[in-house]
Amino acid sequence: MISHKPAARMLLAAAMLAAFPKLARAQMSHQHASEAACEETVLRCASKVTPAFAPDGTLWLAWMAGGQISVASSKDQGKSFSAPVQVTRERLNLDWGPDARPKLAIDAKGDIALAFSIFRDQAFNGQVLTTRSTDGGHSFDPPRPITANNESQRFEAIGFDPAGAVFAVWLDKRNRVPAQRRGEKYDGAGLFFASSKDNGATYSDARMAADNTCECCRLALAFDGAGHPVVVFRNIFEGGVRDHAIVTFTDLATSGELHRVSRDDWQIAACPHHGPSLTISSAGTYHVTWYTNGKARKGLFYARSRDGGKTFSDPLPVGQLNHSPSRPQVIAGPQALAMAWKEFDGQKTSINLMTSHDDGATWSKPTVIADTADSSDHPLLVSDHRQTYLSWMTKADGYHFQAIEGEP
Amino acid sequence: MKRRFLATLILLATLPSALAAAGAPKPFERGSWQKLLHAHAGHPTLVHFWGVTCGPCKVELPQLGRFMKDHPGIDVVTISADLVPNLPEATRSMLDSAGLASAENWIFGDGFAERLRFEIDPAWQGDIPRTMLIARDGIITTIEGSAEIADLNKWSDTQAAATR
Repeated sequence: MISHKPAARMLLAAAMLAAFPKLARAQMSHQHASEAACEETVLRCASKVTPAFAPDGTLWLAWMAGGQISVASSKDQGKSFSAPVQVTRERLNLDWGPDARPKLAIDAKGDIALAFSIFRDQAFNGQVLTTRSTDGGHSFDPPRPITANNESQRFEAIGFDPAGAVFAVWLDKRNRVPAQRRGEKYDGAGLFFASSKDNGATYSDARMAADNTCECCRLALAFDGAGHPVVVFRNIFEGGVRDHAIVTFTDLATSGELHRVSRDDWQIAACPHHGPSLTISSAGTYHVTWYTNGKARKGLFYARSRDGGKTFSDPLPVGQLNHSPSRPQVIAGPQALAMAWKEFDGQKTSINLMTSHDDGATWSKPTVIADTADSSDHPLLVSDHRQTYLSWMTKADGYHFQAIEGEP
Repeated sequence: MKRRFLATLILLATLPSALAAAGAPKPFERGSWQKLLHAHAGHPTLVHFWGVTCGPCKVELPQLGRFMKDHPGIDVVTISADLVPNLPEATRSMLDSAGLASAENWIFGDGFAERLRFEIDPAWQGDIPRTMLIARDGIITTIEGSAEIADLNKWSDTQAAATR
């Protein structure tokens, strides 16, 4: 009996070998599986779409499609768009990580600052590139590195402060090599920042706000009432705990004290690919949402701070844990606070929404405002002076830009 | 018994090289997870989820390559759970240099990564690395983040002990 078994196995092996050419062909045809619906540079083919309103109420979109970054604008809240303008010229290996996307910000004059990351080598080292448009988005300068340093950078965030300077913050691996030379272990990446007085044509020398932060999650950036940048990021606390931290800058060149948003106790040596969201309401309250899988709590959470990020409220769980809730976004709109996130039931991804009319003290029951049955970008929230909108790119159903109902 | 051992050795030697020669990692699609579980039923199996852009993964992958070499009795499966258009080449090259070319290698082959992850573990949001240890009796132990090789060795020993 025993001797038959190996023979049978050999036969199986031979059969598998014979089947390999077919297998290889099947694999080839599957290599185009993608998050995008198509390969061109048009909006319909985008995998990531980022919205931003200009102070004059024009909606701008920046998107990644066909290996390029493009922009277009809308004067009618997303009903129709201008002809797209391609920001990048050569085909770059754009950072396609789950938490990467192009960022844009528009100042009062209509000048546009834009930033994005690329993978600049085979080892997937990143580089943050920036560009600007000074002709209302008709053309963009050739993209330039945000810093002269050549170590890996990713996950930039940019915004205009009230005085019209661009503030940029990103994750930067430049301290890794010196640490290793000293024989020290280096975890994560540094949180670096710089600013630009010429709408993003040139940036100041990079400075570090914090070292050894989590290297693979997007950053959340907002400005407080006095125009100081506030950044929420996944930090690496003592013992490899990847919980969230917040820092309010004293000015564009000076970082402030680091505070902890929550003690989730997520000790993990991994890339969660899942960054936080931050908004600051007119009352000056900081509102933060995030994902954790810590010992203390698991899932999506919301908390607020009324003392400039020094202390936060008890984390409020968001979404249904058995529906894989993810990608929480929060925004202080003109009428209310709104929070949106994804849930997945095994077949469909839905976008869920909650609102608060008392600065985050109480929240409405969640409602589903959109869904799709194939891959999709994160749900993003954006406000003009009147209303909040959901911006959501889906592979199957195209780009959604919809006003959130019940608001105002 | 001796013949069986020899034949198994030949099988072990030819099958992985044949797999490697077949080229790119296999596309991991809807239903692949159940097929994978079925194919390895009764065999202690280590399933490792990783991605080419994940820093901790780059450190862990070569350790896993050594683990596979040291533990021929464990089925080692890798699944690249990042999703990109240009990934297969980079994935293969990283697996090669980590000594994992002969492992059973898969790559997410469906843009709807949420659905693929949900089939594997509804609670998994996509953080990598992640390792699932599937025991002979089907019991799955999930290690989030980089695994300690000592823990993998310990688990492997319990699997070897269970056969005696």
